[in-house]
Amino acid sequence: MTRPPQHEITQLLAEWREGNQSALDELYPLVYDELHRLARRYMSRERKGHTLQTTALINEAYVRLVDQKNVHWANRSHFFAISAQIMRRILIDHARRHGYAKRGGGAQQVSLEEVAAITPNLSRELLRLDEALKSLAEMDPRRSQVVELRYFGGLNNEEIAGVLNISANTVTRDWNMARAWLYQQLSETTAN
Amino acid sequence: MALSTTLRDYGQLNPERWQQISRIFKSAISLDPEARNAYVAGQCGSDDSLRAEVDKLIASHQQASEQDFIGGMAAEAAAPLLIIEDEVGPPQRTLSNGQHFGSYVILDPLGAGGMGEVYLARDTRLDRTVALKILPPDISGDKRRMQRFRQEAKVASSLNQPNILTVFEFGEVGGLTFLATEFVDGETLRDHLRGKKKLKLVEILDINIQVLAALDAAHEANIVHRDIKPENVMIRRRDHVVKVLDFGLAKVTEKKISKDDESEAATAFKTAPGIIMGTINYMSPEQAQAGATDQRTDIWSTGVMLYEMVAGKMPFSGATSSHTIVQILEKDPLPLTKDVPAELERIVLKAMAKDPDERYQTAKDMLIDLRSLKRRLEVQAEIERTSSPSTERPAAIGDQPRAAQGNKRGVVIALVTVMVLVTAAIFGISMWRSTRERAKLVTPAAAVPATVGERKLTYWITVQKFKNGKPYQDPFPLAGEINFEATYQIRVNVQSPQAGHLYILNEGPASTEPEFVVLFPSTTANEGSSLLAAAQTVQIPEKSWFRFDRQQGTEKLWLVFSAEPVPELENVKQYANRKAKGLIPSAAENKSVQNFLTQHSASKPESEPGETLTTLKSSGNLLVYALRLEHH
Repeated sequence: MTRPPQHEITQLLAEWREGNQSALDELYPLVYDELHRLARRYMSRERKGHTLQTTALINEAYVRLVDQKNVHWANRSHFFAISAQIMRRILIDHARRHGYAKRGGGAQQVSLEEVAAITPNLSRELLRLDEALKSLAEMDPRRSQVVELRYFGGLNNEEIAGVLNISANTVTRDWNMARAWLYQQLSETTAN
Repeated sequence: MALSTTLRDYGQLNPERWQQISRIFKSAISLDPEARNAYVAGQCGSDDSLRAEVDKLIASHQQASEQDFIGGMAAEAAAPLLIIEDEVGPPQRTLSNGQHFGSYVILDPLGAGGMGEVYLARDTRLDRTVALKILPPDISGDKRRMQRFRQEAKVASSLNQPNILTVFEFGEVGGLTFLATEFVDGETLRDHLRGKKKLKLVEILDINIQVLAALDAAHEANIVHRDIKPENVMIRRRDHVVKVLDFGLAKVTEKKISKDDESEAATAFKTAPGIIMGTINYMSPEQAQAGATDQRTDIWSTGVMLYEMVAGKMPFSGATSSHTIVQILEKDPLPLTKDVPAELERIVLKAMAKDPDERYQTAKDMLIDLRSLKRRLEVQAEIERTSSPSTERPAAIGDQPRAAQGNKRGVVIALVTVMVLVTAAIFGISMWRSTRERAKLVTPAAAVPATVGERKLTYWITVQKFKNGKPYQDPFPLAGEINFEATYQIRVNVQSPQAGHLYILNEGPASTEPEFVVLFPSTTANEGSSLLAAAQTVQIPEKSWFRFDRQQGTEKLWLVFSAEPVPELENVKQYANRKAKGLIPSAAENKSVQNFLTQHSASKPESEPGETLTTLKSSGNLLVYALRLEHH
């Protein structure tokens, strides 16, 4: 895969930061590909423990994609914000493509296989969380973004505060409220 | 129901309401519970629905924190989703839904992987649902190994051990080798471990105890699993019963990694890294060296699994397969954290002794150690529960005021301890608590004098199904053989055409010292009198149900029906109150009860089992009968 030139991404990030939404449209697939590629590579390296260090991964993508010489301080925040969104996209895409997600009951039988253990529950839960998060975004975009940055982007509260330009305390409060609401929504549908 | 849950409307609120709730919630969760209630009440005023929303959200907040809901990273939790596509590619399906395959109709794919595809299918001959496993040709090609697998799978399955997955059929259709097994609606232990809820120690022990019960039965029949790992352990959704899969298969699959029968397995791992990823972490040192293996290799793997479940990480895990093998052969696993009971660490390390001779020699030995540890933990939890004032059960009629109980609590706790050890593991300890309401009063005043020379007693058992912790459908009388699920609960009913003195005691599975629990009469049943009126029905427990736990064994319910009061038992009925929980406190008293029972049970009453009722008849003025409840 050919990697897009660093300056192009840096430029797009700057444009997006300045309010050019079409820059985001261009940026999105570029970052998506890079993150996806990295995520897969991380997984093949780390799969023994099935861990995936989101932050490390996004950091690596950032270093690879963004020209460090011309970096504006806000670029990093913006990059993380978009990366969180994209990580969410990547995982949801995977969950959807995962054929068994459509099995409502999540029934499964296994397992002669190892790594390829089937994970319909995982897919289903992820899809449900995504839907609930969309509902939350309609009601309260900021709280939904806090969840996205933290859960999908792997950012800590201070970083989130920086990206959203709010205090870290507000991030904590937003997180508590959003998480409680999401939990409530998901537990109410679990019975199905 | 495809995706219906994901597409439903979530409970959206209008923005003002949301802001209002959010404002109250924000402050409320920073307060301690009492101040919080007052605060929420004050803020909500007479708006009950607001109050309900806020309360619900606060409860969700607490549960979400306890369970660390979305506490990790999505990418970590969902990492396996990324792997599947990359490593295996989108699943290839050999069979499609609705397709006939021999006498089976394919219903749905259940999963696929390196070791074959699994489908949910209907067996049209027996009209039952099965899991159909299609083995890949490279494995099924070796006739000699397949023959052996077929045999071992059959033997393991025929053991009829509830924790071993039942194999129904092994066959071939159109060149495809398949295995039809019992369908377990649940998830693998691997998925279970990935779930959002952290497993409690007692749950971890319980799962391993069940795995060991399966292994114990298999080992007895000379079958070694050789591939114990979380992927091969299923947990049934409805009752958490554990099923061990694929007995006998490991030996066959070695073929896959080792072309030459005699070549060392370890070499195969080095030359083909990744092929058997995941398996290797659970391999015993003797397996890693391709040495001779016996049942103790399964002990090792169970130890690794137990370690992993407790520590949250594998004991042996290197960057590559060869590194992992080196660790398995040479390294000691990192010690478990301090909050893990020392006894558990001892058990885990003993199971993972490098030298098989130093390991547990049988699955049963390890099972026994885990089981007693589990009981000990349950007792501790019970002590903590009973000694915590906030969770103390409501005072019973006649209970002393709390202040006066002070020093007595120690005594009560000690009793609870013994009782839990002996019987509560089988009969839910909630029984006394749930008999809060007084039983309906039956006046035995007009008792018909007992016919001298004969005693008659009829009993029957009622079964209540439970679903999600709630009674489900109507109770029904136990008749003949039923498929008794672990979630079912029972009640024993006793009646006699004669009047007489009735005593019911429970004796738990054999232990060194006899220990009994007096179930009837109790302070709430029959006004504490043992005198039973003619045709009066006694049900035990009165208001609740007996619940089996996973401990296996025979539970005895002693039924004693006598024309005259029985002094040995009249003396102990005083303990049948909520506080003592029916437990007879002194060894001497237990002994005297045991003496009485053994002495008189020698002459067994005549038993006439009917469809649902069993009538016992004995000559003489005394009937003593042990109703045995087998629990597997």
